[in-house]
Amino acid sequence: MGARDILADWGVREFRVIDRAAIQEITLGASILATGGGGDPEIGLLWTYKVLDEGKEIVMVDPADIPDEIQVASPACLGAALVLTEKPPASEVINLAMRKLERYLGRPIQATIPIECGGVNSPVAYAAAGELGVPVIDVDGMNRAFPELQMTSWVTHGVHASPTVSVDDRGNVTVIDTGEDDLLAENLARRAAMAYGGISWIATYPMTGRDVKGSSILYSQSIAWAVGKAVMRARREHLDPIEELLKSLLRERGVEGFRAFKGKIVDIRREFGSETTKGFTLGKVIMEGIDEYRGHTAELDFQNEWLNLRVDGEVRCLPPDLIAILDSETGEPIRTDIMKYGYRGTIVLIPAHERMRTERGIELFGPRHFGYELDYVPVEELNG
Amino acid sequence: MAERLRVGFDVGGTFTDGVLMRGREVLAKAKALTTDDVTGGIITALDELLGSSGVDPKDIGMVSLGTTHTTNAIIERRNLNRVGIFRLGAPATTAIPPLTGWPEDLKRAMGGPELVHIIRGGSEYDGRDIAPLDEQAIAEACRKMRGKVDSVAITGVFSPIIPKHEERAAEIVRDILGEEVHITLSHRIATISLLERENSTILNASVITVMQRAVNSLKQAVKERGIQAPLFIVQNDGSVMSADYAVDYPIFTVASGPAASVRGAVYLSGIEDGVVVDIGGTSTDVAYIVKGFPRESSITVTIGGVKTNIRCPDLLSIALGGGTIVKHRGEEVLDLGPESVGYNLVRLGKSFGGPLLTVHDVAVAQGELDRKLDVFKTDFLTRPEAIRALPRGLVAAAWARIKDRLEEAIDKMKTTAEPVPAIFIGGGAMVVPKAGIAGVSEVLSPEHFEVGGAVGTTIAEIGAYAEGVVDLEREDRDEAIAKVTEQAVENAVRAGAIRDTVEVMDVEEIPFTYMPGKREKIRVRVKGKVLQ
Repeated sequence: MGARDILADWGVREFRVIDRAAIQEITLGASILATGGGGDPEIGLLWTYKVLDEGKEIVMVDPADIPDEIQVASPACLGAALVLTEKPPASEVINLAMRKLERYLGRPIQATIPIECGGVNSPVAYAAAGELGVPVIDVDGMNRAFPELQMTSWVTHGVHASPTVSVDDRGNVTVIDTGEDDLLAENLARRAAMAYGGISWIATYPMTGRDVKGSSILYSQSIAWAVGKAVMRARREHLDPIEELLKSLLRERGVEGFRAFKGKIVDIRREFGSETTKGFTLGKVIMEGIDEYRGHTAELDFQNEWLNLRVDGEVRCLPPDLIAILDSETGEPIRTDIMKYGYRGTIVLIPAHERMRTERGIELFGPRHFGYELDYVPVEELNG
Repeated sequence: MAERLRVGFDVGGTFTDGVLMRGREVLAKAKALTTDDVTGGIITALDELLGSSGVDPKDIGMVSLGTTHTTNAIIERRNLNRVGIFRLGAPATTAIPPLTGWPEDLKRAMGGPELVHIIRGGSEYDGRDIAPLDEQAIAEACRKMRGKVDSVAITGVFSPIIPKHEERAAEIVRDILGEEVHITLSHRIATISLLERENSTILNASVITVMQRAVNSLKQAVKERGIQAPLFIVQNDGSVMSADYAVDYPIFTVASGPAASVRGAVYLSGIEDGVVVDIGGTSTDVAYIVKGFPRESSITVTIGGVKTNIRCPDLLSIALGGGTIVKHRGEEVLDLGPESVGYNLVRLGKSFGGPLLTVHDVAVAQGELDRKLDVFKTDFLTRPEAIRALPRGLVAAAWARIKDRLEEAIDKMKTTAEPVPAIFIGGGAMVVPKAGIAGVSEVLSPEHFEVGGAVGTTIAEIGAYAEGVVDLEREDRDEAIAKVTEQAVENAVRAGAIRDTVEVMDVEEIPFTYMPGKREKIRVRVKGKVLQ
């Protein structure tokens, strides 16, 4: 049974076919929305190309069209980005993780949902859908990237990561079932990844169609696609990619993003992770203004993703709102794992989706969660 | 003993430039048309150098050349080797097999899918095996490849840190396929990032014969002229490697052209840290130099449609050159370029009675340009009345705009707020502002900069690097750096450097993200001398 049969079964007649160009646009848009994290898109893209080249079809369905009772799950990569660039996956990893999850649940998985917007995990959900012969649903769990498994709108709306199945390339399988304790699920999943050799492939957040509608960031894929398409078009037609990106957000989401700074990286202060810092690369970047921002200084903190922006000491953006540093000419995002001294870019700020801004959301991934003694203030107010 | 002479050639698309050097002194220069086989043009230039200088060939201590011969072979899919491809990484990595994303014609030139094998093996980052190396599978594949391949490319997961499976696989290949089949191991080619390193390795294996032929015929030609000096080839960072080493690593020459120009500028000016601004007719390249070498780019480099992670210089190209058109309305400057009249300057520029205002004309009107340009046969100005008729305000505004454009490009490449020296080279160096450039302490335009590329090849320095991964919770940082440095020194010596001249240029530390602990990658770059 293929994805089209599943859709026919649901009585869905309208869906979008994802081809090579589409996945490129979606992945670029997702990398921009990944706020400096999400990893190198190359491997996810090549994997998806291979799936398409094998004649497998990838289709995306509107969340409004899915039945309430279906079972879905999110396939994703969890681990060290650098290890992934050196050790691409075995073809079977996602299949294995999803099959094991199905067996644990006792029900078949009928669609995939991307966990986040990121260079790796966005295309991976599509490649997995193609491999499994199921549709991708036009949603995700954040419409950005975050460093930890539990930082999703799913959790803040009462859906849990457990059970999560974590596998490696050799076929080792770990089932994590921590009930409602999503932080523990993250902790165990991270340790499994470490024990495997730095990278794991997970099938996580099993949920029903009803849960998808009630707790996801709806149309997250369409948003990423529109952003990617706008930036690609800007490149082709020599338009300002930043301007086109902001316009696409206004069209697709009805929100206004902000051009906050333009500068070059003059200092990177990395701090190594440890138990006390939760095992992530933390640090701070200083940018010196160029062009109309000459004489101004921007400071950004990062925990794999950009967290917080201050311009001349004044707070301009706090999590969960989005920060992207983009190459001013190409719109290509500058990621925290590849940034270097001298990199030049424009900082764009984007309001987080309203489902990420609930009280529970601010508690789970707002400024205080990341160690700032600051109340969350929406980016619109900081840049009004 | 008198200082040994050095001969260097820069083989460009059209011309082959040659220089004969003693120390920093240029004794003779020559220009010849580049020939298809590379060697012909070099020999013509060499004979001219020897003839015009009258030096004794025996006094020549080093012959070197920069060429993009191998790049051209890849781009044109010409004379490529058939390559047997091994990846050591199964059961991991199979989702993306070798040659994924390659152009179809280049894939075909490599020999086809039956020569591609993903073998069980490779390492985890911490040194464990992904799987024990499947030696039998390698042997079987080799037996089937017999007579069908000229070279073999072997890429193992995490080999830049743990090369043992690549080395063992090479032994097996050697045993079965013999000495005449060349073997390229990926850990000698590039760094972490499997797919790009594998691409680089396969491309390297595909141009070994091309490089070997060029080197052999050159050696022969040099010997016939009584020169007993060793032959060197310029690599991507602008340093050189011995010709025999280059035969094994031809991929290291793909970006040698611009790198040699930068190095020539450094050498002629004596400035080791600053910016090099290479101004041509239609564009300007800006490079940042650190300890005499162009800073490396961290972006993937596409060669012949294939993504690689070969280390190349970080160059910023902007559309500004002597022929760049100044768009204006009355006295108001609307824009600079990006269009250029290029070599039609002498037909289209105001200085020559043409209709268009160019950067060249602005320089003439400013009184900055007062001598003939090497690249053109005519004088720099044939119609002074056209220049005199230009409104003063327009000229001043255009001049200021050109200066802005240069300052912006220089600033983009700088990594420090402090002013740094700038070296202006290239045919357009005379037609741009040099005074009062923001962020620059001084502007130098050394003599002989028109053969800077050829001079750059004669700098008898070898660059090399090595890298490794450490866990700072278990290992001492200094010890780890020392270990990587030792490997880098070995690599430099293998490329032809004298051991006790090798020094460390920089140490880079990159932490692993998304992993608890204190693991990081260490990368050490070194340089050493070819001659004592």
